[in-house]
Amino acid sequence: MPKYAMVIDLQSCVGCGACSIACKNENNLSEGIFWSSKITETVGTFPNVRYHYMPTLCNHCEDAPCVRGCPTQAMHKLDNGITMHDTKKCIGCRYCMYNCPYGVISFNWEKPFKFWRDDEPVLKGCTPSPQEVVRKVNNGTATPYYNPARAETLAGARPKGVVEKCTFCDHRVKRGELPYCVEACPANARVFGDLENGTHEIKFLLGKFRAFRLKEHLGTKPKVYYIRNFNPAAYDRTKGGV
Amino acid sequence: MKGRLWIGLLSLGILLGLVTAFRVFSTGFVLYAKTDILVWTMPLAAYIFFSLTSSGLAFVSSIPIVFGIKRYEPLEKRTVFLEIAVLMAGFVCLIMHLGSPLNVIYLLLSPNLASPLWWLAMLYGVYLAVLLASFWRIQTAQVSKTLSTLVFLIAIATSTALGWLLGLPDARPAMNGSFLTVYFPLTAFACGLAAVLLFSLAYARASGNPNPTSAAQADLYDEVAKVFGVVIGVTLVLFIWRAIIGGVSSSEVELGAFRRMMQSLSFQTELWLGLVAPFVLMLIPSVRVTTWGKVLASLLLLVGMFAGRLEFILTAEIMPFGQLGEGVPQFVSYLPTISEVLVALFGLAVMLLLYTLGERYLNLDGTQEKSEAGT
Ligand code: SF4
Repeated sequence: MPKYAMVIDLQSCVGCGACSIACKNENNLSEGIFWSSKITETVGTFPNVRYHYMPTLCNHCEDAPCVRGCPTQAMHKLDNGITMHDTKKCIGCRYCMYNCPYGVISFNWEKPFKFWRDDEPVLKGCTPSPQEVVRKVNNGTATPYYNPARAETLAGARPKGVVEKCTFCDHRVKRGELPYCVEACPANARVFGDLENGTHEIKFLLGKFRAFRLKEHLGTKPKVYYIRNFNPAAYDRTKGGV
Repeated sequence: MKGRLWIGLLSLGILLGLVTAFRVFSTGFVLYAKTDILVWTMPLAAYIFFSLTSSGLAFVSSIPIVFGIKRYEPLEKRTVFLEIAVLMAGFVCLIMHLGSPLNVIYLLLSPNLASPLWWLAMLYGVYLAVLLASFWRIQTAQVSKTLSTLVFLIAIATSTALGWLLGLPDARPAMNGSFLTVYFPLTAFACGLAAVLLFSLAYARASGNPNPTSAAQADLYDEVAKVFGVVIGVTLVLFIWRAIIGGVSSSEVELGAFRRMMQSLSFQTELWLGLVAPFVLMLIPSVRVTTWGKVLASLLLLVGMFAGRLEFILTAEIMPFGQLGEGVPQFVSYLPTISEVLVALFGLAVMLLLYTLGERYLNLDGTQEKSEAGT
């Protein structure tokens, strides 16, 4: 059985956010919900400042605190290492959000796709209302750009009152395709594969570079690894002074 | 007339609660001041407050039957009924906190024994059933020691498991599980004693049947007040150590949330109103023996503890981490919405109405005529 993992090369990542947009499209994410996101940081003071960008997503921890805490096993592990969620079993207690040390689980506080439920035309007498568009394009379900493939393994659009998070695009992986964020990354900064396969490229990357994972000290054994760091800045060599 | 007004007020609270419930279940939790950062807020704090108070009442009700201190028997029936009423208030707040309460069926169909939440849900289910059975036995003058012992044991389990629930996650280092598993049952006991004093003395007076009615009863309430004072004192010591260790001597980044919360209204209310003031009142003998002293101290403690439950939850949450911290300040602030306040009042109104009906129809002052130890 494969054990899936992702390596993110921070030197290649240009911080364009294509992964987050691709993820939203593929997984029918509602407004305000990001399965693929980022942590940004600005260090130093002007003029010596630098901006750091780190893409984030569910870490699919081997010892996942969200899975351990979920009272109904709605949050569970698949044999291939993916941390999966079952919308039907979720009671909306949000204990997984409380337990997740990475803050990557979102809750549907209200019915999804608020914008597309609006019956006011954007421009009166000129454009149709979002609701009309949905009715015409998609038989009144979800959004005009709804991806039905997502519904193969999870609720296509998650209802209000349950949580949701990245599934490593398990529906695509099942078909032998890469997660969509990996596919969409223009810089090939995301590498996805099987940790059990000794010859796989991610094994090479993890051996070649000093990979790190987020909050490793917690012992959750995340399956998202980061390698390298982008910093082309040069400086005059000096020993400093007193 | 006064009684009708009281029932009318409580019915209004319940009606407003039902309207809030309908609005929350039809539109979602946008009516609450919740975000993916503040995932648990006042409705859950209210649930924790009520359920811990119920556990505390179970400790009090176990004194005469489980520990055999017979002079506490006159308190037994009222205390057990209060436990039920307070627990129902907790359930109301819990339902209002959950998004898909109907899916609780999966707690049975797909249980996760590693989850503190599963254990709590199960324990509370059993707790209610055992409590009802226990009350029925008291009502029919056939007190069951077995049931009372079971209630006592479950109350220990629930109050400590709540500490496990909040304090377990490594994601929230500001919460200390070992501390909470001691602090929660201790404060539960304080709340239980406060509730007994408040309802036995204040409610009885307001409904025209002032307590105590005999010298023996007066002595009993004085003794309860003394125990109450001691429990508040111990709680205060623990509370101060928590503040010194976590808030002053530690510089750990993760405890920043706690240091921040120490300046909050909820923390200050818990400390001054909920602990210091009632402790001082119970320390002064001339105040302690008066009805108003006992009632005031009880009321203050309960208000302070409600604020305290909210403070604990917020301490765990106000410092966003990981991607949640993108574009938000280092600490987020929380102000409950009207709907959240109505949820807490909904729970309170349900509890008070149940209690009022109990006082009216179940003769809660009644003592058992017959006691079947070990049945
Ligand atoms: S919100 Fe749903 S998935 Fe998360 S712990 Fe609760 S039941 Fe499990």
